[in-house]
Amino acid sequence: MVGRNIARFFKYAFLTIAAVLSVFPLYWMVVSSTNANPAILRGSLIPGTNLFVNIQNLIAQQALGQAFINSIVNALSVSVVSIIICSIAGYGFEIFHSKAKDRFMAFLLVSVMVPFAAVMIPLFSLVANMGLMNTTLGFMLPMLSSAFLIMLFRQSARAFPHEMIEAARVDGLSELSIFIRIFMPTMKATYAAAFTIQFLASWNTFLWPRLIMTPGASSITMPMLLANLLSGYVTDFGVNMVAAFIASVPTIIVFFIMQRQFAQGIVGSVK
Amino acid sequence: MKKLLALILVLVLAASVVACGGNGGGTAGTDGSAPAGELKGEVTVWCWDPNFNIPAMTEAARIYNAINPDAVINIVETPWDQVQDALTAAATTGVLDNIPDIFLMQDMAFQRNVMTFPELFIDLTNTGIDFGQFAAGKRGFSTVDGKNFGVPFDNGATIYAVRTDVLEQAGYTVADVTDVTWSQFISVGKDVLAQTGMPMLSTTAGGGDFIMVMLQSAGVDLFNADGSPNIAGNPVLISAIETYLELVDTGVLLEVNGWDEYIDSFVNDNVVGTISGCWILGSVQENAHAGAWAVTNIPRLEVAGGTNFSSWGGSSWAVTNVGNSALAVDFLKHTFAGSVELYETILPSTGAIGTWAPAAASSVYAEPHPFFGGQAVFADIVGFAGKIPQINVGVYFYTANDNISIAVSNIINNGADITTELQAAQEATEFAIME
Repeated sequence: MVGRNIARFFKYAFLTIAAVLSVFPLYWMVVSSTNANPAILRGSLIPGTNLFVNIQNLIAQQALGQAFINSIVNALSVSVVSIIICSIAGYGFEIFHSKAKDRFMAFLLVSVMVPFAAVMIPLFSLVANMGLMNTTLGFMLPMLSSAFLIMLFRQSARAFPHEMIEAARVDGLSELSIFIRIFMPTMKATYAAAFTIQFLASWNTFLWPRLIMTPGASSITMPMLLANLLSGYVTDFGVNMVAAFIASVPTIIVFFIMQRQFAQGIVGSVK
Repeated sequence: MKKLLALILVLVLAASVVACGGNGGGTAGTDGSAPAGELKGEVTVWCWDPNFNIPAMTEAARIYNAINPDAVINIVETPWDQVQDALTAAATTGVLDNIPDIFLMQDMAFQRNVMTFPELFIDLTNTGIDFGQFAAGKRGFSTVDGKNFGVPFDNGATIYAVRTDVLEQAGYTVADVTDVTWSQFISVGKDVLAQTGMPMLSTTAGGGDFIMVMLQSAGVDLFNADGSPNIAGNPVLISAIETYLELVDTGVLLEVNGWDEYIDSFVNDNVVGTISGCWILGSVQENAHAGAWAVTNIPRLEVAGGTNFSSWGGSSWAVTNVGNSALAVDFLKHTFAGSVELYETILPSTGAIGTWAPAAASSVYAEPHPFFGGQAVFADIVGFAGKIPQINVGVYFYTANDNISIAVSNIINNGADITTELQAAQEATEFAIME
């Protein structure tokens, strides 16, 4: 009994420390967005009264609205298109299974290991020579297919009962209808998980848009706006933290809405 | 059925390829700038910092438009890292669509970029810009093989900004830390520390930048004339590292872990002052003790050629050969290399101090500054800038700088031997050059 209590004590102590460590930076960000620069530099952890001044300065210095809209449009279009492409691919790999496809899948997975910085310049050359610089399509193209998402959908499709497909085929449903009318609704949770992952990834993407889009208000995204704020000789951390907070809101909302499906989707959609 | 699915996928792919082609045609046609030689059309400028470089450039555009109303100066905020990435991507792939006509470049990266991507830059030597009117120490950063590739902009002259009230508390004045050697500075610093508990200055741990400042103050750089590293056994470098170690050991210099902690140290009264490029004055003025600050020069190394002047940071304008370079050159010639009015206007609004001699004579520079107890700090800083020894940074400056920071951190934290560590830094830099 005593042993169990001690074990429980250590478990909770560990979890408390881990929780504080993960929540503290968020708390600091929110508190600092309400403080002026000197207070932030002093390490103040108490909310201040400078929030509106910081917001005003941010709006005066940067194209906040445009950056926010650009980021939303980019993240939504990349997420929606890529989960359609990746789910078709994952479904195909599993349902129309063959040894050759397995080998190809293994090859695809290797691409997850290659860091983006290593392929950045060749990718730039490719997309630029296709004439897609400064276009939304050029921005989206490298992110539309993700080996990780294909694998996620393939794993989910593995748990998908093949009898259902057989039955549907007997009933005369086309392969496309089976995918759209049976697979997609059953795999809602996997779609939600994939959407969340892809939304976060494309919302936060920084290096690629910075390279492929000409700088300026029309192409700026939230991560680029944050980088602009850090580039000066004098850094106003209050303005920075307001911007960081605004940049986090959509990802927090998406995560909270999708939280339950996300956990289910990672585990597997079909019970 | 499988075939139908395959057909649909092929159609989708084909449609997207066609869509790509359509969009491509739209963007390729935007390069309709006026031919070189014609002084009208649009010039795109990339620079960063909405409180410093951008307002300065905006003012320059206003002044130029009064002379040449046909020109459109399009200023785009672009952080330095993005400028560097865009240059590298453009030069390595040959796709120059995204490159502007003018961009701002960090001084320390200027020679490296010109030497690595010579095809991107315009040689400005014979364009009618009088480079002799810029401070030699500053001009040197954008000079390659005797040719000028950049119009110098903001001043990176190093200063020691110091709290006079704290010095007085310990029985000293600014004169006691002006025109001094490092050993004189350390002896004053030890006394001030003992009496007030405050270190004389702070810097971010590792001290790579700090040691480079000391080196330049003696007119020494890290490379020989043939481009090979001059690190192992470089007596001035050894003297600089020993001085840095003594500063840390005596507690006269406080090492901090990052940039925000560094700013915090002098804004919140943890140290008596700070040594940095003069652009740090914007942050210094966030300290609450207005009127109790002064600006002076930095201590000198006791080596041959040692001076009290050096530089840290700063940037210059480069002109690319992809757009309307004739208009771009004319614009810079009439503004940053030709307008006293420009420098007079941007000084009070941004604190941007130039290195262009005709502007330094302006009365605006001689205005007493209330935060610095009525000292004419800007005139003093321009004076410092004129005395900075010229050095050659070359292509591998950052590599050498990083390797020396590693050496210094090994010496401080692990008690490693200076000679061995510098030999290692020399070899690491040689290896990078060989690659």
